[in-house]
Amino acid sequence: MAECSAVRERMPELLVESLTPGLREEAHQHIEDCAECGSEWSGFRATWIAMEDFPERTVPPRVRAAFLQQIDALTPKPVVVPFRQRGFFRPLAQAAAVVILVGGSFVAGQRISAPDPLPGNPAVVDSVQLIPIAENRIIRASQVNPDIQGSPDIQNVRFLEVPDKNNEVGIAFDLKSHVTVTGRRDDPSVINLLSYVMQNREHTTQARSSAIQWVQDNYTSTGDADPEIVKALANVLKNDTHEGVRIKAVETLKSLPGTLAPEARAALIDALKNDPNPAVRIKAVDALANLAQAGAPMDAATVDTLRAKASQDDENLYVRVKAAEALNQINL
Amino acid sequence: MKHLSDQELMKLVQDGDFSRAAEIFDRYSGRIYNFAYRFLKNSEAAEDATQEVFVKMMKYAKQFHGDAKLSTWLFSITANLCRDYLRKSENKHKEGEETLLTLPANQSYSPERNLERRQDEERVQKALQSLTPEQREAILLSRYQGLSYAEIAQIAGCSEGAVKTRVFRAMETLKKLLSDPLSGEKKWLNVAQ
Repeated sequence: MAECSAVRERMPELLVESLTPGLREEAHQHIEDCAECGSEWSGFRATWIAMEDFPERTVPPRVRAAFLQQIDALTPKPVVVPFRQRGFFRPLAQAAAVVILVGGSFVAGQRISAPDPLPGNPAVVDSVQLIPIAENRIIRASQVNPDIQGSPDIQNVRFLEVPDKNNEVGIAFDLKSHVTVTGRRDDPSVINLLSYVMQNREHTTQARSSAIQWVQDNYTSTGDADPEIVKALANVLKNDTHEGVRIKAVETLKSLPGTLAPEARAALIDALKNDPNPAVRIKAVDALANLAQAGAPMDAATVDTLRAKASQDDENLYVRVKAAEALNQINL
Repeated sequence: MKHLSDQELMKLVQDGDFSRAAEIFDRYSGRIYNFAYRFLKNSEAAEDATQEVFVKMMKYAKQFHGDAKLSTWLFSITANLCRDYLRKSENKHKEGEETLLTLPANQSYSPERNLERRQDEERVQKALQSLTPEQREAILLSRYQGLSYAEIAQIAGCSEGAVKTRVFRAMETLKKLLSDPLSGEKKWLNVAQ
């Protein structure tokens, strides 16, 4: 009986074949000789084998998808710092801060009137109380990182001429402090900042429209339009929710020098085909007709759209006429 | 791409490269999910547990020192989650409701054979559910995951001897349940008496 008990204790190890060869041989010898242990072992063995014959389930794809989201959520995000200053700007900023501090002290000193002299005491001002002055930074565009990261909340955008520098412009705005970025019109930082202002729908309609107007006023005589500006205008035409802004975008695209870039032309065709507002479609067909009139080569997509519009019964009459005129210009 | 060992992948995860956790997920999620499903017999809970295991793996990656196999550590987390789930759940009445619905059919078998297999598995699943959670854990890790009794002892937080006792008791119960001619229309296991 003692041997039966020992063998049964070893049955779990017999099942997974983890007994040493000697002990295994000994156990099997007993199982052959002992009917009761033999029956027990046969039952164990058959049950163990029968449990094997079941397929593995596949992990549902949604579990993996959810886990990937968790990875994303747990991964530390880099801190987005808009307008990263280049290394050499730091001493400049410190110098500017000193100037502001000294200037502020001077202004404060001018505004504080000296106290009435007390009898017998000389008129002495012990200290000058500084009047807090909001930080006003003027940054050269070349010192601003051209890549605008995140969506900085810039407000009160104004466009400035830089005195004595004909080819330079200034874009002033409030971020955490009042900032003016100045630089050449074709400086990548100026271009990207402009593009950002035109496309950012967080800004008021007026601000977006003013920015586009400013581009129209300042970029029509500078050679071929910058591709980033064209791309931004095309995006405005396609995505802006306000028809007035979209119209301004068409007018600006139309006024830009050089051959209209494919992106701009595609945006005009898209507006002509899909814009819900007839005034925008009229402006778009006008722009395309102007192109035809200027002898610009017309690609198949433009021609097909003009043809479709010219014969579209339910289209605005002006759009149809303008489309027909454009086709006439290119002898089609 | 170079194949990295479990330890190398975990080192990267410990260093904050969580993107490598997806590779570990792909290596072990199948085993974890099947263990959790058989333990809990509830596919939704098994899905939750599987996801939670790998999230915990990322959160507590620094607690993995590499002195045990990664699989052992992951099964340890899984078993804890499953035990917690069983403690908290009040849905024992739901057990067994979904086996026939969720088993994948084997295309090489006839529909009748597939049905028979499903019924067989349902009986095994029911039998497994009649074990204590400790016994079930030991059987599942040993029979289906091929872990040694020493590894199971590490996961269960008990001695190796205790694991062997649990397996023995579990096998006695399973043998009785699965060979009982009254528990089905046929004697399911052809056990020599």
